[in-house]
Amino acid sequence: MSQEDDLLKEALHGDEVSRRSFLGKFASAVFAGLVAPAVAGKVEPLHAAPATQAGNLVPLLNLPEAIEGEHPVERMMDDLRRALQKPMDQRKWGMVIDLRKCTGCSGCNIACVTENKLPPGVTYRPVMTETQGTFPNVARRFVPRPCLQCDNPPCTPVCPVKATWKRADGITVIDYDRCIGCRYCMTACPYSARYYDFGTFYGDSEGGERQPYELLPTPEYGKNYLRDRGGSPIGNVRKCHFCIHRIERGDLPACVLSCMGRATYFGDMNDPRSLVSELIAQPNIMRLKEELGTDPKVFYLV
Amino acid sequence: MSKETNFTLSRRDFLKAGAITAGGLATYGALGSGFKMISAQDARNQLQSKTVYTACVMCPAECGLAVRVENGVASAIYGNNHAPLNSGVVCAKGASGLQMTYNANRIKYPMIRVGERGEGKFRRASWDEALDYIADKLLQIKREHGPESVIMDAGDVTDRDPYYYLFRAFGTPHTVEHGSICDTPRRHGPKLMFGGKRVEPDIMRPVLVRQPDGSLKNSYKYRTRLIVYAGWNPFTATRIVYESRGTVEAKLAGARIVVIDPALSNTATKADQWIPIRPGTDPDLFAAVLRYILENHRDDDPFRRYIDWSFLEYSQGWEEFEADFRSWWNKKDPINGLDYFTLEWAAQRTLIDAKTIAELAHTFGITKPAAWVWGMNGIGHHYNGYVAAIIGTALNVITGNMEVPGGAIDTEIVKSSKGGRAGGGFFNGRDVTRRINGVDVTGKQEQLHMDWYGDWPAGWDDVVGDYPRRFIEGVKLRYGPFRGHEYPLRAFFLRTGNPVITGSNTQTWVDALTAKKGNDYAVDLVVYIDTPFLETGLYADVVLPECSYLERMSLADIYPSHPLIYLRDFVIDKMYESKSQYDFMIALARKLHEKGDPDIDPAEFWEKYPTEEDFWNEALKVSPGRANAGVPLPYPQYPVNYRLIGTPDSLEAGRVEVDDEKKEVRGEPVTAQWFRDHNGVAVWPMSWYRFHDGGVLQTDSKKVEFVWDFEMESNGETQRKGRYAKYNKLIEEAGEAPPSIRKLGWDKFPKSFYWFETIWNPYTNPDYAQYKDEYPFLVVSGRIHHAMSGTQMVDWLGRIPTEDLWMPYNEERIVEEIIIGPDGPAPTGRQVRIDKGTWCIGVIQMNRSEGEGMGLQSGDLVELSTPLGHSTRGKVNLVETIMPGVLRVPLGGGGRFSPGLGKTYDFRDVSPNHNAIVDPEGLSPVMGQPVYCDMIVKVKKV
Repeated sequence: MSQEDDLLKEALHGDEVSRRSFLGKFASAVFAGLVAPAVAGKVEPLHAAPATQAGNLVPLLNLPEAIEGEHPVERMMDDLRRALQKPMDQRKWGMVIDLRKCTGCSGCNIACVTENKLPPGVTYRPVMTETQGTFPNVARRFVPRPCLQCDNPPCTPVCPVKATWKRADGITVIDYDRCIGCRYCMTACPYSARYYDFGTFYGDSEGGERQPYELLPTPEYGKNYLRDRGGSPIGNVRKCHFCIHRIERGDLPACVLSCMGRATYFGDMNDPRSLVSELIAQPNIMRLKEELGTDPKVFYLV
Repeated sequence: MSKETNFTLSRRDFLKAGAITAGGLATYGALGSGFKMISAQDARNQLQSKTVYTACVMCPAECGLAVRVENGVASAIYGNNHAPLNSGVVCAKGASGLQMTYNANRIKYPMIRVGERGEGKFRRASWDEALDYIADKLLQIKREHGPESVIMDAGDVTDRDPYYYLFRAFGTPHTVEHGSICDTPRRHGPKLMFGGKRVEPDIMRPVLVRQPDGSLKNSYKYRTRLIVYAGWNPFTATRIVYESRGTVEAKLAGARIVVIDPALSNTATKADQWIPIRPGTDPDLFAAVLRYILENHRDDDPFRRYIDWSFLEYSQGWEEFEADFRSWWNKKDPINGLDYFTLEWAAQRTLIDAKTIAELAHTFGITKPAAWVWGMNGIGHHYNGYVAAIIGTALNVITGNMEVPGGAIDTEIVKSSKGGRAGGGFFNGRDVTRRINGVDVTGKQEQLHMDWYGDWPAGWDDVVGDYPRRFIEGVKLRYGPFRGHEYPLRAFFLRTGNPVITGSNTQTWVDALTAKKGNDYAVDLVVYIDTPFLETGLYADVVLPECSYLERMSLADIYPSHPLIYLRDFVIDKMYESKSQYDFMIALARKLHEKGDPDIDPAEFWEKYPTEEDFWNEALKVSPGRANAGVPLPYPQYPVNYRLIGTPDSLEAGRVEVDDEKKEVRGEPVTAQWFRDHNGVAVWPMSWYRFHDGGVLQTDSKKVEFVWDFEMESNGETQRKGRYAKYNKLIEEAGEAPPSIRKLGWDKFPKSFYWFETIWNPYTNPDYAQYKDEYPFLVVSGRIHHAMSGTQMVDWLGRIPTEDLWMPYNEERIVEEIIIGPDGPAPTGRQVRIDKGTWCIGVIQMNRSEGEGMGLQSGDLVELSTPLGHSTRGKVNLVETIMPGVLRVPLGGGGRFSPGLGKTYDFRDVSPNHNAIVDPEGLSPVMGQPVYCDMIVKVKKV
């Protein structure tokens, strides 16, 4: 099929291939969520891909050169590559959602569910519908609501076991191995962006057999958690993490890639050349519940 | 533990992850999901992840996909960035394909009916037994009645060619698809006038454009200044998928968006102006706009120069069309007493005030480039939708918006061709002989067609909605050489699709499929082939498992703005005992051949196409098959208007043969392997102004035709041409008009503009005025894109409310679980609790203040009943997003009685079946489309 497959075959079957080169080649996103972070080691970019440059992790699109505009995915992936060249504490991930373009399709929601292998009841990116007015003067808008990755997160200080914290690059993470499932953080989050994993499976209400996609490990945080065994993240609190496992290998978050209206943008806000930096400077930018002082890193264009 | 180490995995962890995965895999076998048991060691060896480019078919948009596969399991579905149609995006439905593919309710094995039709009792059978059963019946039917007694309905999903190929070879001309129960009136105008089908705005981006320096570059520029979407909701009816991002991008780039719809659709939420309109009056609005433009156009006033006369260069018959249109202007409407097509007349009927209509007409007239686009529910589902489609097409042409950058494009005539010989059309050209009234008559196989030479000569997409009547009455041909030939319909193959719920009135279909002649069913053989198990499957004698779209190969059937095609490739192994279309074609062909069917020639089947890939490579031999036309010329090195065939790179590099006789440029044929080497997608350049000098037009005159039965000089002789001429010749020869148009008072098809009223509308058609008070609500069909007829078992989609039509209004229930087992629907013995408010069901959308005035609350169960005595029940959803006097009910959204639909089935008693109340005889007169949106009801609280 693709070059990656050839690499993969070579790596798997070629006996002469040393483990080092095996691992090195696999850093190039071949294993997607399954392996890349495992061999990549730490999340700091300089260590993320020992054998390759971060910028080469995910293949470029190879679209024809553009006149009059550009493919937004191409632009964002370029932004991402640049950001990954920098140390982690020098980048600041941010998301911009253009509500003028959200068509309310919920594609982002389902793409996220499949990417992160979310069980029933856990939704990192619901799309809320707001309707105002009376017929015939009615307005409706769709508001996707991921974790807002607040710079001043109310959810982290309440954790009694320090299982959730904000990383230097702005993403608030949860250590499933440490989380005791007390759910204080859920109460603290003013955006209701955190969910509890009760350990249910889609198959539970469909014949009782878990379906193959439910048995795959969730690639979150590069850890390949296997819920099927009853372990984490069952019994943990879960939430959107901007698909860390994807961005660390140079790929965009699932929701950004899927968006039907091309309404979602992602990138490094510390990079003045990035698309998100450009968009955040627009006069019609807003954030949810600004008055709480949470300083979210998800922005809305209205 | 430090922060860093939280995200660090050692090599040991890596190996552990592999082992864990293997452990997970081993359970597949144990759980009987159709997977082989894999040992941990095997799994480690096989551990792999890959991305495969393929084409979606969760809906007919068929977006280009990039599917991630881990350890042989499809794990996530993304859009293919290289496919300009969707440009990397994927909707909720597309991303949910995993739950369609890996669904407990999939048909897993062949099954043969053991109870009565409708009881849902089956037993597992082998493929061999099932094919034996089918082949014996087919050959018996062929002996007794002829192969024309067999129908192959290849349904809603594309990849139809193998089925068509087989059944056309077998000898039946009845190879049909979903089109005729979709929206044929909407397609009618473009078909008559361009030979096309779908007029869409030029907002697919990127488009690949030839540059002055000879290079090819992607353009992302939106030039559109105005889009009018009438009865069209592309954000949820996503067949033209680029209209989601395209509409909002065009708007940000300065376009004005107007949506005309009785309900605030998702598309309307992004419009600059939402104009609610009374259902069934779109033709009235369109006619008033055209009249306004004709009356108020001034060549010398830039603010009223609506018409761009350059359209006359590439069209013919405008004078006649205009005269016929104007002939109505002095007639008085019998209901409101006003002159036809005036602003006041239209305002009375549409409930849009005259000023708004005038403003719309004026704005459309002076704003260029613009596109006037009409849709499925608003136009395609009405008795007289043809009229709107014809006027809508004319509006785009006369204002000079067709084929200009940023204007309107008929995507049907610019998309890539495919199929060719693999469609098996040539079999229909075979000579066949039938004995009619004691005389042997010879004609073409195609001339046995029950519609084209029977009751529906203009039903060029076939007339599936009229099958139930003919299942019982049989067929009598009226036209062509076989006039007078009678035959029964004895076998109905349905492959995907679900006519019991979507093909006109549900009870009518059930009655026809269960009707008996003596001890036997009138339709002797019903075969249901699909991945999910839907209602029509309950009435089948044989149920066969078709591969999901991730397990088979074929080609995307898409509607882009320029030639573009991609491969549907094998992503995962075929599951259970399912077969692909190709597998089925070869298997049944072999069986028929073994049993002595002389029409099955091995040289045309397994010898010619030994693999699935060979077959689809045949289908690609004609691609892209479009003219080298327009500006900028796609390939300046080749002659204008020569047909282009071959891969983009061979055409680009000049590895071609230029055939001046056939006017063809033939490069290297596109193949499945070529796709795999090129990101799964073939893109040929975009151009505009493709109507000039014939270009891409598919009409007889190679011009835009405003007349449809005319004489023209060809090869020194006068010939009768035009889309309707063919039918009128048949009618004149036979001396009788088809019954459907006789109802309109026509003795043949009109030469140019025509007008007639819709049915079941008391406000526009005097025949129904008597019902106005007792049945105060007009019912229209709505669309729940992500959870329509065939995908409601998909759990993820059941959790996403949509457009006030698909809402989490379920009460708590504890249900006895049923799934589709090896012997059909069977209880699992488990009880499953479904919590209140966790599952979306189809609901009846109703204006809030109107509903409250009737003492209703959201969630109340009501019964809708019609003057014909049909009724259905569902919960009302009282909202501000719909106009008073109108109810919107999702087509296929409720009353679903197939146990294969999971939780949707569990709430069948409290969700409305739209087609329970559709008029079974109200087939629209020209092409026989069921009129889903023409019905009136009264509402009673249950």
